[in-house]
Amino acid sequence: MLQKTIQAGSLPALEAMMRFTGQRQRLLAHNIANLTTPDFQAKDVSPQGFQEMLGEAVAKRRKRTGGVDGGLDMRGSREVKVRRDGSLSFRPSDSGGVLLHDRNNRDVERLMQDMTENYGMYRVANDLMRARMGVLRTAISQRVG
Amino acid sequence: MFGSLDISTSGMVAQRIRLTAASANIAGANVVEDQYGNYAPFLRREVMLASGDPSATSRDGQSLGVHVREVYQNPDALRARYMPSSPHADENGYVMGPDISSVAEQVDAMEASRAYEANVAAAEVSKAMLAQALRLIA
Repeated sequence: MLQKTIQAGSLPALEAMMRFTGQRQRLLAHNIANLTTPDFQAKDVSPQGFQEMLGEAVAKRRKRTGGVDGGLDMRGSREVKVRRDGSLSFRPSDSGGVLLHDRNNRDVERLMQDMTENYGMYRVANDLMRARMGVLRTAISQRVG
Repeated sequence: MFGSLDISTSGMVAQRIRLTAASANIAGANVVEDQYGNYAPFLRREVMLASGDPSATSRDGQSLGVHVREVYQNPDALRARYMPSSPHADENGYVMGPDISSVAEQVDAMEASRAYEANVAAAEVSKAMLAQALRLIA
C-alpha cells in the first residue's frame, strides 16, 4: 500500500528529475573548478535527452497501467544509465567549443547559464514535490484525526 | 549533489594557491641572496593544476575537482642584471637574478581571483539545492 502512495502521479518523475539535476550539479561544479586547468575539456550531459527519456517512461507507464500511477521504468540512454535502485550514472560527452592556448575549452558564460538552468529545474521539481508531500500529509492527518 | 561542495572547495583552494604564488613572485622579484648572504636567486613559482582530487575519500570523488599537482620552481626564470657592486657579480658586472614581471603576475592574480569567484558561485548554488532538499519534509 505504501508503494502505491509513493509512486502516485507525478512523484516518480519528480524524484527522477531531482536525482538528475542534483547529480548534474556535481558535473557542472567539476567543470567550474577546472576553469583554469590546462588540457582539460569540459563535459556535460544533455538535460533535453534526459527529459525525452523521462517522457517516454511516463508514456510507457500510462500504456501499462492505464492511469497515472505506478513506478517509472526508464530505459537509460548513452549518456545516462539508470541503475536498479533508481540511481543514475553519467557518461558525459565533450562540450565542444573553442580550444584556448592552454588546450582548455572553457566558456564561463555557458557554464554559469547551465548551472542556473539546472538549479531552476531542480527548484521546479523540488517545489512540486513539496506540494505533493503536503497533500499526502494532509490526507494522512485527516484519516487519523 | 553531496560531493559538489567538495568539488567547489577544491577549486577555491587551487585558485588561492595560485594567488599565493603570484604574491610570492612579486615579493621575491629582486631577491638574489638568502639570509646568510649566499648566492640564491629567487626562482619563479609556477603552480601546476590537474583535474581530480586525490584527497577525496571515495573513488568517485577522486575523479572530480581540481588539485595542485606541484608548485614548480622554474630554474630557467633568470635574467642577467647589471649590478657591478654586488659580491656575486661576474667579471662583466652581471648577476643572474629573477626574471619576474609584476605585470604578468598581476594578470595571473586577476584570473585566479575571478576563477575563485566562479567557484564560490557554484558552491552557493549547491548550498541552495541542499537547503531546498531539506525543506521537502521539514
